[in-house]
Amino acid sequence: MFDFAELAAWFADSTNWDGRYGLWFLLAEHLVLSLGAILLAAVVALPLGTLIGHTGKGEFAVIGLGSVSRAVPTMGLLFALVLLFGVEQRDLSLILALTAIAIPPLLAGTFSGISTIPWSIRDSATAQGMTGLQRIRHVELPLATPSIVGGFRIAFIHVVSTVVLAPLVGLGGLGFGIVQGLTVRNYAQVLASSLVIIATTVIGDQLLGWVQRRTGSRLVEHQTTEKS
Amino acid sequence: MKYARLAALALSVTAVLGVTGCSPAAEPAGEPIVIGSQQYYSNEIIAEAYALVLEDAGFTVERQFSLGQRDVYVPALVDGEIDLFPEYTGNLLQFFVPEATETAADDVYAALASSLPAGLTALAMSPASDQDSYNVTQDFASANGVASIGDLAGLGGLTLGGAPELAERPYGPTGLLATYGVTVEFSATGETTVDSLVAGIVDMANVYSADPRIQQLGLVTLADPLGLFLASNVVPIASDAVNADARALIDAVSAAMSAEDLVALNVRSVDEKLSAAVIARDWLVAEGLLE
Repeated sequence: MFDFAELAAWFADSTNWDGRYGLWFLLAEHLVLSLGAILLAAVVALPLGTLIGHTGKGEFAVIGLGSVSRAVPTMGLLFALVLLFGVEQRDLSLILALTAIAIPPLLAGTFSGISTIPWSIRDSATAQGMTGLQRIRHVELPLATPSIVGGFRIAFIHVVSTVVLAPLVGLGGLGFGIVQGLTVRNYAQVLASSLVIIATTVIGDQLLGWVQRRTGSRLVEHQTTEKS
Repeated sequence: MKYARLAALALSVTAVLGVTGCSPAAEPAGEPIVIGSQQYYSNEIIAEAYALVLEDAGFTVERQFSLGQRDVYVPALVDGEIDLFPEYTGNLLQFFVPEATETAADDVYAALASSLPAGLTALAMSPASDQDSYNVTQDFASANGVASIGDLAGLGGLTLGGAPELAERPYGPTGLLATYGVTVEFSATGETTVDSLVAGIVDMANVYSADPRIQQLGLVTLADPLGLFLASNVVPIASDAVNADARALIDAVSAAMSAEDLVALNVRSVDEKLSAAVIARDWLVAEGLLE
C-alpha cells in the first residue's frame, strides 16, 4: 500500500534534514520543549511527592491530582493558556500544558517510592539518630530512586507524544511534519515524522529503563544481604 | 451504568457508520439532492444558502455538512454520494491539477471546468472570493510605505507567518522571491497566524481574504498585481443529479453574492455566533431570493 522507496527517498533528501523546519532542528526543538516541561514538573512534583511520602499526609492529593489530570484535555488546556498569556508567550503556554500532564506520574512515582519503604527501615534510621531531613536524603530518596525514575519514564512518554500539538500554536517540533504533510498530501513526510517520533519515544524510554534498572539493582542487593 | 455506557458507545458507532456509509435506499418520489460543505463556517453558510433556496422551490435536500478537507469529500463527490458542494475555483483547481499555472479568475475557472472528473460540473462562479492573501498591520504598512507585495522587495529581515503548508505552496516563500523578489523567512504560525501578526512576531501573514479579522483589526491586504495567488471564487460543483431548474436557482445565489457579502456573512458568524441557517436565511431574504 505504501511505497517504501518513497519513504527512503524522503529520508535520503538532505533538504528534509536542514533548515528551520528540517528534521534536526525539529527534533532538537521537540526534545527541548519536552525536557523543559519535564524539568518544570520535577521542580514541583519531586519536593511535593517527597513531603507527602515522608509524612504520609496528603495522599488524597496524589490520587486526586492523578485522576483530575487524566480528565483535562491537553489540547483544550493549550489553547486556553495561549489565549490567556497571548501568542508572544506561546512556548510558555505549551510547556505549562505539558507540565500539567507530567506532574501526576512524577508525583505518584516519588510518593509511592517513599511510602512503600518498610517502616522497619525508616524507624531504624530514626533510631540511629537521623533527623527527618537526613532520613529523606540518605535513606528514603536513595531507596525510592527506581520508582522516581519510573515516574520520569511515564512522564517522558506522555510529554514526548503530546508535543506533537505544538505546530497548532505555531511552534515546531516533530509534529510539524505531520501537520504540514497531511495538508499538502506528502504522506512520505507524515510517515517519516511519525517514525522519528516513535523512535525518539522508544529510545528515551529504554534509556530511562536502563537507568531505572541500574538504580534498582542496589536495592535488590540490599534486600538479599538483609535476608542472608 | 456499564450498560448505559455500552449503549452510548453502540449508538455513536452506528451514527458514524450512518454518516460514512451509503445513503439510505432511494425514496420513490424524487431522490433528495445531497448538499455537502467543508468543515469551515463560511463554506457551511454558502451550502446552507443553496439548501434553503432549493427547499423553497420544492426540492428535497439532504445536508451533509462539515465534511472536513478535500481529501475526504472530493472522492464522495466524484462517486455521486454528494450532489452539490460550494467550492473555491483556485483551491479546487490546485487539488485536481497541482501544477496549474493559471491565476486570473476567468482563466482559473476555465481550467477548473475542463479538469473536473466526468459527471461533475462547475456552475457559474460567484463574484465572491475567499482566497489566500498577504496582510500586514496598518502600522507596518504606513511605517514602510507598502501597499503592494512588490513594495516589500527592498525590506530585509521579513518574517512571513502562515499555516505550515504555506512553506510548500507555490505562492509561499519560493513564489514570493521568484515573482516579486521578496525574501522572507517563514514561520509556521498555524492557528495563531493573525494573533502573531498583531503581536509583531511576524511581519506579514497569509490570511483568507474573506476573514472578518482583516476588517476588524484593520489589517492591510497587499495588492497582488502579478497574480502570485490563484483567484479563488466561490463556485458550486454539481453532479448530474442536479437538474436545470435547480442549477438556475443556485446560479441566482452565486450571482447575488458579492465579495463584501461573503465577508459580512462571515462577520455575523464570528461576531454574533449565529448558526449558518440563520445567517443564510437573513441574507437570502435581504437579496430577495427568499420570502
